[in-house]
Amino acid sequence: MACPVVNTYPLSGYTFANKEPKLDKDTNVPDRLTRMKTNYMKQGMRTTVEGILLVKEHNHPHLLLLQMRNTFYKLPGGRLKPGENEIEGLKRKLSSKLAAPSAGVQPDWQIGECVGVWWRPNFETYLYPYCPPHITKPKECKKLFLVHLPEKQFFAVPHNLKLLAVPLFELYDNIQRYGSVISTIPMQVSRFQF
Amino acid sequence: MNNSQLFNYTHGSSTSTDDGSQVEAIKIYGLSNYYFYSKPAPPLKNQTLEERISCLKTRYDVCGIRTCVEAVILVELSKTPQLLLLQLRNSTYKLPGGRLRPGESDIEGLKRKLTNKLSVHSDGILPDWEVGECLGRWWRVGFETLLLPYLPPNVRSPKECRKIFLVKLPERQKFTVPKTHKLLAVPLSQLHENHEIYGPVISGVPQLLSKFPIETASR
Repeated sequence: MACPVVNTYPLSGYTFANKEPKLDKDTNVPDRLTRMKTNYMKQGMRTTVEGILLVKEHNHPHLLLLQMRNTFYKLPGGRLKPGENEIEGLKRKLSSKLAAPSAGVQPDWQIGECVGVWWRPNFETYLYPYCPPHITKPKECKKLFLVHLPEKQFFAVPHNLKLLAVPLFELYDNIQRYGSVISTIPMQVSRFQF
Repeated sequence: MNNSQLFNYTHGSSTSTDDGSQVEAIKIYGLSNYYFYSKPAPPLKNQTLEERISCLKTRYDVCGIRTCVEAVILVELSKTPQLLLLQLRNSTYKLPGGRLRPGESDIEGLKRKLTNKLSVHSDGILPDWEVGECLGRWWRVGFETLLLPYLPPNVRSPKECRKIFLVKLPERQKFTVPKTHKLLAVPLSQLHENHEIYGPVISGVPQLLSKFPIETASR
């Protein structure tokens, strides 16, 4: 009744292949923040959309995460183009990160509800689940969407990234390894029946 | 004339899903719209941790898993959204709510608890609480263990399930608060990641609310 059902399927139903590397435009945090400033001057607040893709293993939901350089974890997603619709943008980013590169055959991504929103008030790494009251010009708004995966799908991951399936219990309370956004996903999806 | 002011900077389009459904904004009203009275309180039960655990065990033997329902209620103060919390004897903070009776539905139980904790039964007219969606759930695996926002795999008999619901207030309401408790309004910014003072459930509320635009209606 109060708890919507989200279907999750075993990892074994999915096939994973490699594709061309997708290099990050910046290799360190200061560079990334500088580029964010430049983009902000041109286009205003950045809107980022990210997908929560879940599979079931050992009777427990697992989150698909991209790992870069052995230390940094990201949800699949990225920045919207100016004026781009959130849903279309997320589908574009999911295909870019996770779909086979062959032209014209894009997976039919089923984007579900928005599960959480984070705000970046300044050109710093801090994100908050609300726009702090004295901030009139936030620099970034990040929206997390549930993505409903079919039972079987083919993923192609850039070979400089690893795609991992991490159990919710491993993410919970693990801010040090996964950061505030990813480590709190178990709570954000706790209302769903898996 | 009502002025609507968006707390969450939404920069144009509001969040929508594939099927076009929008996230409905939460309308909140100034704290001064509400009146608070004190009411006599029944004696407090289960004040120590040991007593609470023991009570949980006894009831579990009789009724099985305990289901608790709790309410997230927002007001506006100092132009920021604030969460209503009950504080017991200057220490523990709680969301208004409590334990369901066997066979009682979540919504019925929450309305009953809110009326119990925060209203008067005058003339038999019960306030009409507007219970919104379930924001999140927490489970307790053992009698003495901490709450977790998921049911760990292979746990067959969790001892407690706690569901957090959004409750929307009308523009005006009278509250009565048991003398044993204080009713506080705490800004979301104070709760965020503040596990030490508020515990994981309350400190997680700002995130559970983050997807909703919050609108204040001011006169």
